[in-house]
Amino acid sequence: MRPQPTPSPAPFAARPVPTGDPGGHDRGAATDAAINGQPARTTIAVWDPFVRIFHWMLATAVAAALTTGLLLPATWTRLHIAAGTLAAALVAARIVWGFLGPHFARFATFVGGPATVLRYTRELIGRRAGRHLGHNPLGGAMIVALLALLIAITATGTAALGGVLKAGPLAFATSYAAGSAAREIHGLLAYALLALIALHVAGVLFESRRTREDLVGAMIHGRKRGMPGAGSARSAQARPVLAAGIVAAILAGSTLVSAALSQRPAAGVPTAPLDPAYAEECGACHIPYHPSLAPAAVWTALMNGLSDHFGEDASLDPATTRAMRDYLVANAAEAYDTRAANVFRRRAADDPLRLTATPFWRRRHAEIPAAVFASPPVGGEGNCAACHADAATGRFAPAAITIPKETTS
Amino acid sequence: MRATPRSTFAAGLFAVAAATGPAAAGPAQQAILDHYAAEAKAAGAPSAFSAARGEAFFRAKHGVSAESPSCSACHTADPRNPGRTRAGKPIEPMAVSAVPTRFTDLAEVEKWFRRNCNTVLGRACTPAEKGDFVAFMASR
Repeated sequence: MRPQPTPSPAPFAARPVPTGDPGGHDRGAATDAAINGQPARTTIAVWDPFVRIFHWMLATAVAAALTTGLLLPATWTRLHIAAGTLAAALVAARIVWGFLGPHFARFATFVGGPATVLRYTRELIGRRAGRHLGHNPLGGAMIVALLALLIAITATGTAALGGVLKAGPLAFATSYAAGSAAREIHGLLAYALLALIALHVAGVLFESRRTREDLVGAMIHGRKRGMPGAGSARSAQARPVLAAGIVAAILAGSTLVSAALSQRPAAGVPTAPLDPAYAEECGACHIPYHPSLAPAAVWTALMNGLSDHFGEDASLDPATTRAMRDYLVANAAEAYDTRAANVFRRRAADDPLRLTATPFWRRRHAEIPAAVFASPPVGGEGNCAACHADAATGRFAPAAITIPKETTS
Repeated sequence: MRATPRSTFAAGLFAVAAATGPAAAGPAQQAILDHYAAEAKAAGAPSAFSAARGEAFFRAKHGVSAESPSCSACHTADPRNPGRTRAGKPIEPMAVSAVPTRFTDLAEVEKWFRRNCNTVLGRACTPAEKGDFVAFMASR
């Protein structure tokens, strides 16, 4: 099935097109030549429309995911998830097409074992390697590696979304610790993907030069120069209707399952609204911080020291103080598994009671200019709700962040 | 506090009425003023409150707290304007003309005098200081 570069008595003995027209845009004539096996300045339709659209859509989705994931701030998470979801859907469709597509789209055409890849690599080094109409064995290996890596990136990304942000289909079952580990791997795999993309592009440029064929152009218009032995192009019939049906079923099924799982309550996320008395008393001077934002020991120390509360007397009568302390301790960080509950357990040694002194808070807000905190709509580091619309819930989702535009009072 | 011989209940009422002109103090604010007048009297202090003294007290820098040197640090120089806590939370205006429910609940008023006097002055306020303060806010 694999197109072999070895010259053989072919149904059509195509001569390479003269340099100057490597793309061969003369579609009608070229196709006829390919079918009838007429010796002509032939080009052959190698990459079918789905493969080409898939390739460039995937490149776009991956570029968007890498940009939003590695370069842009967390407020872009929503677009990152959308790009990742699109990439995953494209990969699923490509895998189906790898079994039901036309000859050159099929895995069977271009996936060889390690021995094939090794032999080809040796031929390449010895400058003996021939030209392949579809993917050469190294290119085929690259396709498999890219698809496998994208599947792993999707899986770890979904786990990170579930465990860290407590959203998506895995939120109901993923702990913060597991999600956090998945996020680390997700990040490492993204760099591996960058490396593979660089190799892929380098390979395409190298092969274009070596075989004097515009491979980038071929992925746009789909055609390559005809060559001896290319008659096998017709040996596998595409099953587009069946493939579309299977892809539609996969996408609809996974959308339904994902939606159903996403509906389940996320693990360790607070659901009860803030205690009204707490929100009233403590919310008089500052936003009522969700109890999950500090460990029980911090709440106990804060409530026992209200007469000197960060330089102010915030004392309450003993009964109210006791009631607030009990509420806060019972709902402290230890009782929840949100990201905030996890990261704010770690306190600054020299200022353990202050949320904005925690290492996580400082790190995450380091790039925000002091002027933003001083601006009228914010009015201080402790005013979480100025930017985090969901501060009162203790969730602090990246999608809920909007830094208010500075206004000159 | 200067001692005034005629530190009577009636004089307190009169002083407030004189200071406020068109009195903004409703019955609820008056009850609070009465409460402080009685306390001041019991302590042997002048119970005739002065909005002018209250204004001076409101603006004075007491030199105790760097972050909260005066009442006006958070409540702004004009009590008809909304203020802002150190943590960035808005505070409704203190002036009774702007927020008629101000100084109508003694427990609430006492809670905030207890906290804020301790923060800004480093001590409890006297009944006379509280009375002057409320008289000033009722006049605005």
